[in-house]
Amino acid sequence: MTETLLDIVQQLMNGIMYGAFYALVGIGFTLFFGVMKKFNLAYGSTIMAGIYLGLIPLNLWKQPMWVVFVTCVAGAVVVGFVVEFACFRYLRKGHELAPMMTTIGMLILIEDAVVIATHAAPFEYPNIFGDESFELGPFLIRPDYLAILIAGVVFVVLLYLLVNRTTFGRAMRAVAENPAVSQLLGVSVTRTNTLTFALTSALGGATGYLVAMTFGALQPGIATWMTIKGLVVIVIGGLGSIPGAIFAGLLLGVVEFQALWFLGISYRDIFAFLLLFAFLVLRPSGLMGKAA
Amino acid sequence: MRNIVVGSVILTWFLMLSPAAVSAFQEEGTLRVGGMWALSGPAAYIGKSSKGLSALAIDEINEAGGVAIQGKRVKLAMSVYDDACKAEEGLTVVRRLADSDKVLFSLGPTCSNVAEPVFGTLQKRLGDATDTGLQFLFFTDTAIKFGLAKISPWAFRNVGNEPAMFELAFKLVKERHPELKTVAVAYESDFAHSVSTWKGATKPALEKYGYQVLDIVEWRFEDVEFGAQVTKLRKANADILVMMTHTFSTCGAVKEFKRQRVKAKLMVGITSSASTETMVGCGQAVEGMIIPTNFATINPKAKAVAEKAWAKYKADSNLHSVPAYENLYAIKGIVEKVGIKNEPATLLQDRRKVRDALATLGTFQGVIGPIKMNGDNDPVKPRDVDKAIILVQAKNAQWTVWWQPPEMEKK
Repeated sequence: MTETLLDIVQQLMNGIMYGAFYALVGIGFTLFFGVMKKFNLAYGSTIMAGIYLGLIPLNLWKQPMWVVFVTCVAGAVVVGFVVEFACFRYLRKGHELAPMMTTIGMLILIEDAVVIATHAAPFEYPNIFGDESFELGPFLIRPDYLAILIAGVVFVVLLYLLVNRTTFGRAMRAVAENPAVSQLLGVSVTRTNTLTFALTSALGGATGYLVAMTFGALQPGIATWMTIKGLVVIVIGGLGSIPGAIFAGLLLGVVEFQALWFLGISYRDIFAFLLLFAFLVLRPSGLMGKAA
Repeated sequence: MRNIVVGSVILTWFLMLSPAAVSAFQEEGTLRVGGMWALSGPAAYIGKSSKGLSALAIDEINEAGGVAIQGKRVKLAMSVYDDACKAEEGLTVVRRLADSDKVLFSLGPTCSNVAEPVFGTLQKRLGDATDTGLQFLFFTDTAIKFGLAKISPWAFRNVGNEPAMFELAFKLVKERHPELKTVAVAYESDFAHSVSTWKGATKPALEKYGYQVLDIVEWRFEDVEFGAQVTKLRKANADILVMMTHTFSTCGAVKEFKRQRVKAKLMVGITSSASTETMVGCGQAVEGMIIPTNFATINPKAKAVAEKAWAKYKADSNLHSVPAYENLYAIKGIVEKVGIKNEPATLLQDRRKVRDALATLGTFQGVIGPIKMNGDNDPVKPRDVDKAIILVQAKNAQWTVWWQPPEMEKK
């Protein structure tokens, strides 16, 4: 009994730490939707492109990992601008589903570009936290997973301050509430949207760096994987809700790890999607979304 | 005038695509052969090695004057495609090789999950006009899942016999380490080769030699998170860890072994992992791992091939890639013996002649020793080969010979 309880707690801890990553990806998707009321399905590929770009200074010039981190963030921001320019800026108003199609196209385009450039061969991503776990009582904790959890908390606090305590944050909230009125009040909707792209892409680049490091190897398929996880998180959390994305990410991580532990690998994804269907049927507004 | 220009362009385009434009097989002095491998994705390291070894064989054959056909020396020309280890890609590529490129035969594919549907498109009943399957010859070097060549009489393979390989492996482990009695197993539940090797080769061998299986865990071919499964392996505390997983996930898992302080007395790996890729990717974490294989640099010929393939193509010589080299030499010998015409009009007859000769080939020379091709009527492994098994062990970041057949040792 004690042994089973220890297993449950160990997997709960792993699930929460891993779920922090899901939450961060979900926050990115949520910010897009919250401010622009549109889905950016190319967000996963933006993150993926950023972390691949981060490998350039490492592999070509043997630069330290902080340079890799900065390149990941900068790379994701640049790719984010490309996505905003190509998939959103010139689309006519009133065609709300059009960005879904353009960003799906961009997701495939970026993923295939990376496949062509790298032959989709796995690239090693050095882990600055090493290959050792540390013991916490009867539990083993991976330092890189813990780093994701801590980074998640830091990013969320910074995001909260940015959204609630800065002029840009006020503009974001205004555009999210009513773009037309915001424009009349002197807020540039285009500028706000572009900066939102920069912000979410930077968050994605930073998250992607941590994830690639914990994975130890990087493949283009990571883009589709992050897109699926991100969409599951925002549906469970509630469209446009940042606290919802946080709780949904953690919940998804915990459910996946418990299913994996007790039932095996085949049930990990089954339970994740059962959770999604359960929310779609029983609570379509998600954990913290506004009811329609 | 405009219509004349447009008409001329269409006519030229049509002529370029018509059979007449590709009718220069024997005339142009080439014998067309094909290769389809996983050249992208996580299995690319396997496919690229096969491509490199086949390129080496073609270079050698062409430099030595080519292939003698109808009293003329023709050069081998190879069409290579990437199937990315995906069935849908493989199904497109096989049509292109057979119908557009009109190659005599093809090497590959790399992955069993590609070979299975691709072989399914081939003719099932030889000479039956009602069977509209492709009359196209495969001489596979890599796809190793047991029994794949039974799918079609056009499918031949020079691949390892995994049930025999793991039977031998555990027999020898039992002899050399009688104190090891328990095992824990990991395999990739979404990868045909991994599943079939575990269920069809390793499990029967473990049962035969009385090993107690304490736990079996699964992950996926492209997984990157192994925490829960490795915890189970740690708790099983088995004497032997049997890793029926491929390089990408194996390297991820053995890193997790280190994190969770998992230390088995012995590790046994899947055949495909006996590669340089595993050494580079996993490093010290696979030290001591034992793997049954069909290739090691145990004689001067093997050493020379491995060195040349690496120097010229950065291609790793292993049990999957070396057969590509061997198969091209075998086909060269057959083509020169059966007297094909090497013309577009006779392509189907040529393929059939080579197929029939391959089915009755018997023994041919491989890099480390003779290889016996089983005929169509072999009750267990039709159109598959029997060849020497070697066991290698990871030692000081190199695959060293742990056991080889006594007759090879003497040589």
